[in-house]
Amino acid sequence: MNILSNFQYHAPKTKAEVLELLADIGDRSKMLAGGTDLIIMLKEKMIETENIINIGDVEELAGIKFTDEGVEIGACTKIADIENSTELVKDYNALVHAAGELGSYQVRTMATLGGNISHSSPAGETPTPLAALNASVVIESKRGTRVVKAEDFILGNRKNVLEKDEMLTKFVIPAPAANSATVYGYIGLRNAMEIDAVNMAVNVELEADKKTVKSVKLVMGSVSPKPIVSEAVPALLVGKELNEDLVEKIGEAAMSEAKPISDIRASAEYRKDVVGALARRLTKEAYELAMEA
Amino acid sequence: MKQIITLNINNQNYDVVVTPMDLLVDVIRKTVGLTGTKKGCGQGDCGACTVLIDGKPELSCIKLAVASVGKKITTIEGIANEDGTLHPIQDAFLDHGAVQCGFCTPGMILSAKALVDRNPNPTQKEIKTAISGNTCRCTGYINIIEAIESYANSVAEKEAK
Ligand SMILES: Cc1cc2nc3c(=O)[nH]c(=O)nc-3n(C[C@H](O)[C@H](O)[C@H](O)COP(=O)(O)OP(=O)(O)OC[C@H]3O[C@@H](n4cnc5c(N)ncnc54)[C@H](O)[C@@H]3O)c2cc1C
Ligand code: FES
Ligand code: FES
Repeated sequence: MNILSNFQYHAPKTKAEVLELLADIGDRSKMLAGGTDLIIMLKEKMIETENIINIGDVEELAGIKFTDEGVEIGACTKIADIENSTELVKDYNALVHAAGELGSYQVRTMATLGGNISHSSPAGETPTPLAALNASVVIESKRGTRVVKAEDFILGNRKNVLEKDEMLTKFVIPAPAANSATVYGYIGLRNAMEIDAVNMAVNVELEADKKTVKSVKLVMGSVSPKPIVSEAVPALLVGKELNEDLVEKIGEAAMSEAKPISDIRASAEYRKDVVGALARRLTKEAYELAMEA
Repeated sequence: MKQIITLNINNQNYDVVVTPMDLLVDVIRKTVGLTGTKKGCGQGDCGACTVLIDGKPELSCIKLAVASVGKKITTIEGIANEDGTLHPIQDAFLDHGAVQCGFCTPGMILSAKALVDRNPNPTQKEIKTAISGNTCRCTGYINIIEAIESYANSVAEKEAK
């Protein structure tokens, strides 16, 4: 009944033990968090590995902790715990929303936030809202700790900045700026269990007049090998009040930046149209919420 | 690389010989012999292999047996009452004609039970969301949703008393 290739199993109990193992055998190992990507890849023989390091039961790597500056979310925090967090909903609803759209409930009780970005699929649900919320990713190894912005973590399809002896330990998300709001949206083919055709998160911050845009961060997922942070949309919007004409232009600007591919889930043309529609809708939504914030 | 691990399934400890590669679904079905847990797609899509791990629904087809040590595993065989009579959610499925071929039923019931355990008053939308990872080829879902609603109502009524 053995369909996975041969590997040795390690079950460290602390982060220090994980880092020790990674320093030792990181080049011959895969970390197992929830396993919802990894076990499937092993089964499909897409990857092979000599060692599996189970980080899913290391308690200090999981949990949601509020601080004076914002919130810290451990890499091994389950997607379902984010989805069900009544405390995260208020300031970090874009992330909670995205968490609730990932896979099925069973997948969400197994899958972790760290696993989602580390798998670095172009269609990943949570990298876009994390980037829009200005999250940082904390990376540790025995050599030390470094921090990268969420949008800089993924380099391409299943490629990221992690070295062989490194792991992602937590996300640090700052408290939202005054007069700001972040929203998430996606368009897929079915209502549940689908892989997104396009997903997007938009963070709009207004000046004290609650009308003029101070900053805007629009992040698109699934339309290129890595999430794209729009440069054209801030160029259009900062210093202005939103109006219908600008909304149209924002849609066009986002479409011009997206580099979608055609695949089994959607054609490139369809994806571009969806980018325009999402950019228009989400920017308006975020702007209106920011006026009330 | 065979090793002996102890799995706690339905409140009983089983010492089983496994390799690190063995999937929980195979150990439950073949080594332990509890065949109520089904294996459909083997890829996390259909939910037939759903078991509860520390009370939460997980997919045993993408879970290593070795990673399940020290946890409380509940399979469909573990939810009936001690005297052998059915759990009320099982009765609700029977009463509402929510079972046809039965292949999806163990996973469906465990997903539904976990939902009502965490949210005793689910809306129809919440029920649909909770079972969106459980595929049924036969029933068209309507009777399943009704069965879960009626079970949730009976739990809510009991709690009100
Ligand atoms: C049926 C099904 C539906 C799905 N639907 C969706 C969906 O709608 N949207 C979506 O985005 N995803 C979806 N997924 C994919 C998957 O569930 C997510 O990507 C999930 O968040 C992965 O987390 P995990 O903990 O299970 O990762 P694992 O499978 O344990 O790990 C994934 C990869 O990341 C590495 N890794 C894990 N944690 C760390 C860490 N802390 N540091 C460094 N490396 C690490 C692992 O070594 C591995 O290479 C689906 C999967 C299934 C089976
Ligand atoms: S057999 Fe596990 S989800 Fe289909
Ligand atoms: S009753 Fe046959 S699959 Fe659901």
